[in-house]
Amino acid sequence: MKELTAEDTSLLELVDRLLNKGVVLAGEATISVAGVDLIYLGLNVVLAAVETVDKAQERRRAS
Amino acid sequence: MTLLAHAIAASPPAALPHDGLRGRPLAWSEAGDLGLWSTEWAPDIKLERPDALEHHRLVERICAAQPCLPVRFGTAFATPDDARASLDKRSAALHEALARVAGKSELALTLLWREPSAVAGIPSVTGPGRQYMEIRRAEFAARGARRARADALVEEVIAELSIERPLVWHETCTSDGVAVSLAVLVPTERAGERKSQLEQIAARFADVIPVLNGPWPPYTFARTE
Repeated sequence: MKELTAEDTSLLELVDRLLNKGVVLAGEATISVAGVDLIYLGLNVVLAAVETVDKAQERRRAS
Repeated sequence: MTLLAHAIAASPPAALPHDGLRGRPLAWSEAGDLGLWSTEWAPDIKLERPDALEHHRLVERICAAQPCLPVRFGTAFATPDDARASLDKRSAALHEALARVAGKSELALTLLWREPSAVAGIPSVTGPGRQYMEIRRAEFAARGARRARADALVEEVIAELSIERPLVWHETCTSDGVAVSLAVLVPTERAGERKSQLEQIAARFADVIPVLNGPWPPYTFARTE
């Protein structure tokens, strides 16, 4: 597994906030189902990304 | 036309440049004394990684112009009426959240373990079953020790920073490499000073590597549920 660098960490922390934090509005639709995966592709850090993508998929299934 | 949401703010809207994501028009949809900043989008356009970062820059721009609540990236509405209806439903909670984050920014501190977890103290035993159990016990103890150390690091940061607990969010040991992921909500005008304090506090921890980010819009503290 790739070791986390400070740069990876900063990017992951930011992306985590964009995808997992902030106001969740009722009645929303999330466009581009592949969006989450596209965001994480290229980071080359599987670590936190896998968890987040899994959570996003669970949310999608639940909605 | 789809609206890709960025942030919620109180009306009247601040004067902002009209460019939203990918240069598409930035729109304001008003519902009572609240409004939603969004980009006029097309449902067939897929969001990609640079869009997430551009959304972040847009939210930063909006937050610099007026107090706002960042909306989770990827939230879209089919029509402006749908967006207004969504704001109306949560009006009281959104006002409360706006009051909480007005004039404040978020600082993010991540503490990475300097060394991988070491499993020690496995007694030499006979039999593969017993050995397996001893290894599992040692691993469990090592994880427990790391979690306790991470919790202690959080407590030290909060105490040294002299900050109220509702203004701090944290998670510990979210992966093998991460000891602590922590966010603090600070007055925007003191963000630089608080960031320096955080940097000094974290630099004293010998067993972790600190990574400090922000000031960012108050993503972590914008939740209404």
